[in-house]
Amino acid sequence: MTQLRSDLILTARGLRKTYGQFVALNDVNFDLRGGEKHALIGPNGAGKSTFISCVAGQLPGVEGAVLFRGRDIGSLRPHQLAHRGIGRTFQISRTFLQMTVLENMTAAYVIAADSWTSLRRRVLARQQDKAANMLRIIGLSQRAHERVLDLPLGERKRLEFGMALAGDPDLLLLDEPTAGMSIKERHHLMDFVAERIDATGKTLLFVEHDIDVVLKIASRVTVMVRGGILVEGTPAEIAANKEVQAVYLGEAH
Amino acid sequence: MMARLARAEMPRLRQMLFVAGAVAALEAVNRLTGVSGSLLVAEIIIMMVFASSLNLLMSFGHMVSFGHAAYFGLGSYGFALAITRFDVPAEAALVFGPLLAGIGGLVFGALCVRLTEIYFAMLTLACAQITYTVLFQWYDFTGGDTGLTGFMTPRFGLSEANFASAAMVLALVCLYVLWRVVHSPLGLAIRSVGQDRYRAEALGLSPRRVQLVAFVISAFFAGVAGTLFAVFHGNAFPDYAGLGFTLDALIMVVLGGLNSFLGGVWGALVYTLLKNFVPLMTAHWELILGLILLAIVLVMPHGLAGGVKRLAGMLGWGALR
Ligand SMILES: Nc1ncnc2c1ncn2[C@@H]1O[C@H](COP(=O)(O)OP(=O)(O)OP(=O)(O)O)[C@@H](O)[C@H]1O
Ligand SMILES: [Mg+2]
Repeated sequence: MTQLRSDLILTARGLRKTYGQFVALNDVNFDLRGGEKHALIGPNGAGKSTFISCVAGQLPGVEGAVLFRGRDIGSLRPHQLAHRGIGRTFQISRTFLQMTVLENMTAAYVIAADSWTSLRRRVLARQQDKAANMLRIIGLSQRAHERVLDLPLGERKRLEFGMALAGDPDLLLLDEPTAGMSIKERHHLMDFVAERIDATGKTLLFVEHDIDVVLKIASRVTVMVRGGILVEGTPAEIAANKEVQAVYLGEAH
Repeated sequence: MMARLARAEMPRLRQMLFVAGAVAALEAVNRLTGVSGSLLVAEIIIMMVFASSLNLLMSFGHMVSFGHAAYFGLGSYGFALAITRFDVPAEAALVFGPLLAGIGGLVFGALCVRLTEIYFAMLTLACAQITYTVLFQWYDFTGGDTGLTGFMTPRFGLSEANFASAAMVLALVCLYVLWRVVHSPLGLAIRSVGQDRYRAEALGLSPRRVQLVAFVISAFFAGVAGTLFAVFHGNAFPDYAGLGFTLDALIMVVLGGLNSFLGGVWGALVYTLLKNFVPLMTAHWELILGLILLAIVLVMPHGLAGGVKRLAGMLGWGALR
C-alpha cells in the first residue's frame, strides 16, 4: 500500500524535557503528515502526555524544536497556538465545571472567534447558536442546561472534545479521549472523531490505550517507551512488531 | 434558540420586579426614617457597589483580592485631589475618582496577574499596603494621616435623603453595567479563566489578559464607591485604602455568597446593618458580630444569596440569581 504523500504539518526535532533528574522526553524526533490519524501509544509514564503538552506549548523548559506547518512554534504561548490551529484535550478532562454544558461550549466559540472582549448580547447569542449546534453534533443537547459537575466522566470527555473542535483546528491533539468510557462508548466516540477528521481533511494525533480502537482508527501509529520513540509504522506493522509485543507483554496489564 | 428564550426571557420580568421592589423598599426607608435612616441607606448603597466590584473578581474570576480597599481609597483620593490640588470643579472631579482607581487597577493588576491563587492574593495585599503608605506619608500632596478635608460641602449640599436617592440611581447604573459584564462574552471569558485557566488557554485565551481586564473593571467600580464615599463625608482619609475596608469588602462578599451576582448586594445590606446596630445593643459588639457572622455562614453555606435563592425556590419564586 502506498502512503498518500502530503505536507508535514508537525515536526519535532530533538525534543527533550526533564523533571529535575528525571528525563521525561529524550531526544524525540517526530513527523506528522496532514490528514493523518496518528495514534501515540506506549506504557504508562512513557512520555505521551508530556509530548502532547510540548506540542501544545503548555510545558516550560523544553529543549529542541517544534515546527507547525514549517514554522517554529517553540516560543508561542498555548493561546497563540490555539488561534494558529492547534486544538487539544487533556488526559484528565478540563472543562468549566461550574458552568452549564451550553455555557462551556459557548465559551469555546466566543474564544475561538476572538470576541471575548465584547459586551454585546448579540455576539453572545450568535456564538450560543453555534454552540447549541455543536452540542447536537456530539449528542449533548439533552444536557445543555446541566452543570458539567453533574455529568458523568464520559460525557465530560465528549464535551471537552466538542470544545476543542470549536476553533476548527487543523491539528487536533487528543490525550486519551476515551479513558473512563465503556467499550461501546469508546468506539462510538472514536468512529465519530475519525469520520470528522476524514470529512474535514484535518489531522489527528491521539493517545489511546485501547489497542482495538487504535488498530481500527489510526492510519499511523507511534510507540513510545521511556521518553523515546520505539517504532513508528502502519497499524499492521505495529501489530506484528516483536519489540512492541515485548513491551506490551512486559507491562503489568 | 428555543432553549435560550425559555431560559432567558421568562425570568426577566421577575428580575425587574425584584429590582423595582428593592429600590422601593430602600427608598421607603430612606424617606420615612429620618436623617439617620437616610445616612444608613446611603452607606448601604455605597457598600453594595464596593462589594459588588470585589464580587466580580471573586465570584466570577475566582481571584481573591486581599487589597481591594486600595481602589476604594484611590477613588476617594482621585476625586479629592482633583479638587484640592488641581482646582477641578467638584462636579467634574467626580470622574477622576474612578479614573485613578482604574489606573491603579491597571498598574497593580498587571503585576498581580503574573501570579495565581494565594500568591496573587498576597500581591494584592502588598499593592494595597503600598497605596496606603503613600497616602499616609506623602503629607505635601495627600495630606498624610490628616487626610483631605473641607474641600467641599458634604453631599454637594444635598439633604441626606436626596443624596441617598442620587446614590441609589448611580448604584443601579453600576450594578446594571456589572450585570451586563457578567452576562456578556467578556463575562464568559472571565468565568472561564476563573474555573480552569489551562482549558481557557488551550481554547485561545490569554489568562493574564482576561484577568487584567477583570481587575481594571473591578478597580474602577471600587473607585466609584470610593468617590461616592468621599462625596458622602466630604473628605478622604488613608484609612479608606486600609485593611479595615479591605476586610469589610471580603466579609460582605463571602457573607453574601460566592458564585452569585447578588452576593455583594446582600452582603453589603446585612453587614452594614449589623455593623450599625449591634454596637448599639451590646458593649461586646465585635464578639456578637463575629458570632452572628459565624451563624449565618453555618446556616447558609452558600451565603445570603444562596439562602435567599433557596427560600425563593421553596416559595415557588425561582430565578432570583
Ligand atoms: N509535573 C511533573 N513532575 C514530575 N514528573 C512528571 C511530571 N509530569 C510527568 N512526570 C513524569 O514524566 C513521565 C512521563 O509522564 P507522561 O504523563 O508524559 O506519561 P504518559 O505516557 O502520558 O503516561 P500515562 O499513560 O500514564 O498517561 C512519568 O514518569 C511521570 O511520572
Ligand atoms: Mg498520559
